[in-house]
Amino acid sequence: MYIVDCDCHNDWHSADVLLPYLEGWWRECYLRGEHTGPRGAFPHGHRAWFHPEDFRRADIKPTCEEEEYTLMRDKHLNPNNIDVAILTGEEALETSTLANPHYAMALAKANNDWMVNEWLPKDERFYGSIIVAPQDPELAAQEIRRLGDHPRLVQVLVSHGSTMPYGDPFYHPIYRACEEVGLPFSIHLGGNGGINTMPFANGSPRYFTEAHALFSQPAQTHLVSMIVNGVFEKFPTLKMVVIECGVSWVPPLLWRLDAEWRALRKEVPWLKHLPSEYCFEHVRFTTQPLEQPSKIEHLWAVLEAMQAKDTLMFASDYPHWDQDEISAIRLPEGWTPNVFGLNALKVYKRLSHLIPAAEAAATANVGAV
Amino acid sequence: MAKKHVICKTDELPLGERKIVTIGSRSIGVFNLKGEYFAMLNICPHQGAPLCEGPICGTNLTVDEYRYEYAHEDELVRCSRHGWEFNIRDGTAFEDPKIKAKTYPVSVEDGQVVVHV
Repeated sequence: MYIVDCDCHNDWHSADVLLPYLEGWWRECYLRGEHTGPRGAFPHGHRAWFHPEDFRRADIKPTCEEEEYTLMRDKHLNPNNIDVAILTGEEALETSTLANPHYAMALAKANNDWMVNEWLPKDERFYGSIIVAPQDPELAAQEIRRLGDHPRLVQVLVSHGSTMPYGDPFYHPIYRACEEVGLPFSIHLGGNGGINTMPFANGSPRYFTEAHALFSQPAQTHLVSMIVNGVFEKFPTLKMVVIECGVSWVPPLLWRLDAEWRALRKEVPWLKHLPSEYCFEHVRFTTQPLEQPSKIEHLWAVLEAMQAKDTLMFASDYPHWDQDEISAIRLPEGWTPNVFGLNALKVYKRLSHLIPAAEAAATANVGAV
Repeated sequence: MAKKHVICKTDELPLGERKIVTIGSRSIGVFNLKGEYFAMLNICPHQGAPLCEGPICGTNLTVDEYRYEYAHEDELVRCSRHGWEFNIRDGTAFEDPKIKAKTYPVSVEDGQVVVHV
């Protein structure tokens, strides 16, 4: 089985690793400016819902920078036979929460350079994400163009927390840049503090337990917004990846959009297709956290309704507490090569050279059975 | 072979107006569209709602950018229940011409509107 892990978090032990990559005044801001925590804490607006234990797996407790990698290698990449790990950073996504978009983008840029210089060389299985702070889309677009041709950077990544739904024309400079460099626009759970909107409809839940179950809400807002605002008409080669937001909500939302579209299309006449057609053509979703009904056929019916054989991609979410064990992911027969590898290798154009290896592995598996 | 049914005198169905009539067991909408007369079964192909009782309207053409290009003024009837829009002339759904409401020929004979059912 060929495995592409679409959500592998390369954390730092201390945000001080960014110092060599922070330029000019931003370096002084980081060194002497106010922090959300002691020295080494990353400046960001934190979410208000704290995990009562820790959001890391209890068995992953790095004690130094080097162990951030060695534990990942020894407890995830090697034992799980991961062929490609797409690094999604950790706190850098939270730059979206900062009011000063220049500082936010300087921190995101430092993260990107740190990852390119210090993570990608460690392991040939690694590919990276260009993390941007979307609150100033022109600054974000500059960063996308700066790094967009790097052969091992496969996507542009933002938090799903934001100040507005991502289909808004305010954000379109980001999509123009994504199209220019040929990278998907990806959203990942996070950025749910600071300047960003309350991620949960009708106000704050009291407990992390509630928040965790509701974290798909912003993704629903963004998916509808991207489709209805005609982003995929305006940027016809753009792909979108929705990471760590669950999947079972997708079909009912598309059913509703499609059902109402004939009556409402005159309000949004820039749409030329049914909303669901844009979704299936342009949007991909990752597995973790894949919902776990007691009857697997309930999940499979939902997956089939969202054409998941072609739209779903495996993600571990290493090293977080709710990581799905690969052996526990049950899929309909014949879907494994797509969901664990080929779908990602197709949507991430920078990985397309790996398709023959993944196809060969799929054929070998069939032979073994 | 279709039978002729006299609906009314032409001056009883003015420009832009419609009448809902019952012919046998059928409810049928008869429209005066810019001086021409058209008849459509009062059943929406979507979910069977009374199609012909909805607003007579225009719509917005499909466009490439954020703007509205209003067209077909008074040439469509919008289903009274779920808002699907149909061309009064030929019964085709505006958004998908493969979907079609049943229509009937209409003639004007001796100053009277006649529907052929």
